[in-house]
Amino acid sequence: MFGRYRGTFRREHGDIMVEAETVDGLLTYRRRCGEQTFERILISDTGEVIINPVEPVNLPRDITDFLLMEFSPMMVEPGTSRTVYLKFPVEIGVFVESAKDIEVLDVFAPGSQKYTLYGSPTTGVIARWYRSAVYPEIPPVERFCEGVMELSIHNASHEWVEVSCAVFENIDMKIYYGDFVAASAKMKILGPFLAETDFIDAPLRPGMVKSIELYTARKIPVINRGYLMEWGF
Amino acid sequence: MAFNVTEVLEIPIGVGDITVERILYFAVILMAGVIIAKFVATNVRRVLSERLPVNERELLTKLVYYGIIVWAIVVALPQLNFDLSGLLVAGGIAGLVIGFASQSVVSNLISGLFLMFEHPIRIGDNINVADVSGNVEDIRVLSTVIKTYDGIYIRIPNEKVFTSNITNYVHNPARRFTYEIRIRYADDANAAIRIAREVIETHPFALKSPAPSVFVDNLGDNSVNLTAYIWAPARNWWDVRTDLLWKIKVALEENGIEIPFPQRTVRFADGLEVKGRSAGERGEKE
Repeated sequence: MFGRYRGTFRREHGDIMVEAETVDGLLTYRRRCGEQTFERILISDTGEVIINPVEPVNLPRDITDFLLMEFSPMMVEPGTSRTVYLKFPVEIGVFVESAKDIEVLDVFAPGSQKYTLYGSPTTGVIARWYRSAVYPEIPPVERFCEGVMELSIHNASHEWVEVSCAVFENIDMKIYYGDFVAASAKMKILGPFLAETDFIDAPLRPGMVKSIELYTARKIPVINRGYLMEWGF
Repeated sequence: MAFNVTEVLEIPIGVGDITVERILYFAVILMAGVIIAKFVATNVRRVLSERLPVNERELLTKLVYYGIIVWAIVVALPQLNFDLSGLLVAGGIAGLVIGFASQSVVSNLISGLFLMFEHPIRIGDNINVADVSGNVEDIRVLSTVIKTYDGIYIRIPNEKVFTSNITNYVHNPARRFTYEIRIRYADDANAAIRIAREVIETHPFALKSPAPSVFVDNLGDNSVNLTAYIWAPARNWWDVRTDLLWKIKVALEENGIEIPFPQRTVRFADGLEVKGRSAGERGEKE
């Protein structure tokens, strides 16, 4: 399903169907995902439709840029680094691209979403919530529902700390896809309640294709500065 | 009689040696300033439309707009023989006079600047100020424009906004709302709590944390009263509130738990014969 398409096409996977077909002489994009459908007429001479996984913070409405990954609590020794693997939710973005411009056409995902508050109700942030188990190696995932996040945790503090969540600002999330969807991130623990998180722009396996990001398509300038978790982890 | 443009332009208007030509120059410079200000402000707004939050974008656009207007006035005033350096000398006295004359205008202006920089409200916020509730449409130099939930335009002077109690419903990222759910005494309250929690759990914007709370709050005359506290993103709480209540009601009814009607048990000391029974019913009784 992921890839570039020109003219008419049809891709189907389980509950998901994406197609572009000619209806009454007009090229029409159609999508079905579960019970939800979406349709747009495409007026284009040279445009291509691109389908790839995108930052999972857009559904059911775009209300935040943050993703909170909750996982089984881990005790981390001072000065220790360890790489673990988590599963993160995947949203599928559909773009229309021409030589001059690229625009978001559709975003959808199987399954449901849940949001949470990280921090206090006065100064915290709303974040997309997702719970994952912790895996020592790349776990098997359902390609269009979940992706694999490689998370490098480094405890730079002088104390043992318990880590059970990581919050990421998704505006600089770099997603790659191949046999599965993947992203890489790091988490540096600075103190008992303070940690820095950031995404790494590198494929998890050689040959993976980099996704077009929603922020790029929406022409929103982004400064890659990571996120400072100030309300614990 | 021939019409000579040059002569017309050189006609003095009676104030000093100001001529029609100078008045025209003054007007043209001012008009050019306004046109340039509008052009630049429009482009600044367009360029920044997706790069800055609406509040900061509008503030910057206004600063650019009024900056160019002030520049045009400074350039145009010498055409009227207006010596700006004289303003500095007369500034103290003129300031006093203007200050007294335009006290409310200056007060609104200063309040507007404080509102822009302090940010108690932003464009798009749901607020209640000076007994007016609605969305902030614009924060101008002298006034704040609010569109009420009925779509009515209301302009409030900035001084009034600044000195009133402001309730900003969306200033914090999350807010809590409450449902009161009544069930019959015959129903299982624990089951009702579990069902309500399950329904709340399925809603994407009913926040995971702070966790929703559903509990038996009190025992009423006609019902067991449950209370549900639910946190939602401040900008979406109304959608969540309107969406969830009916879903909870439907889920409870599907599980045999009903919302009771008010009821009274009435006892008569001497008993009471019910009148209007049919003859058959009376016969059976006898």
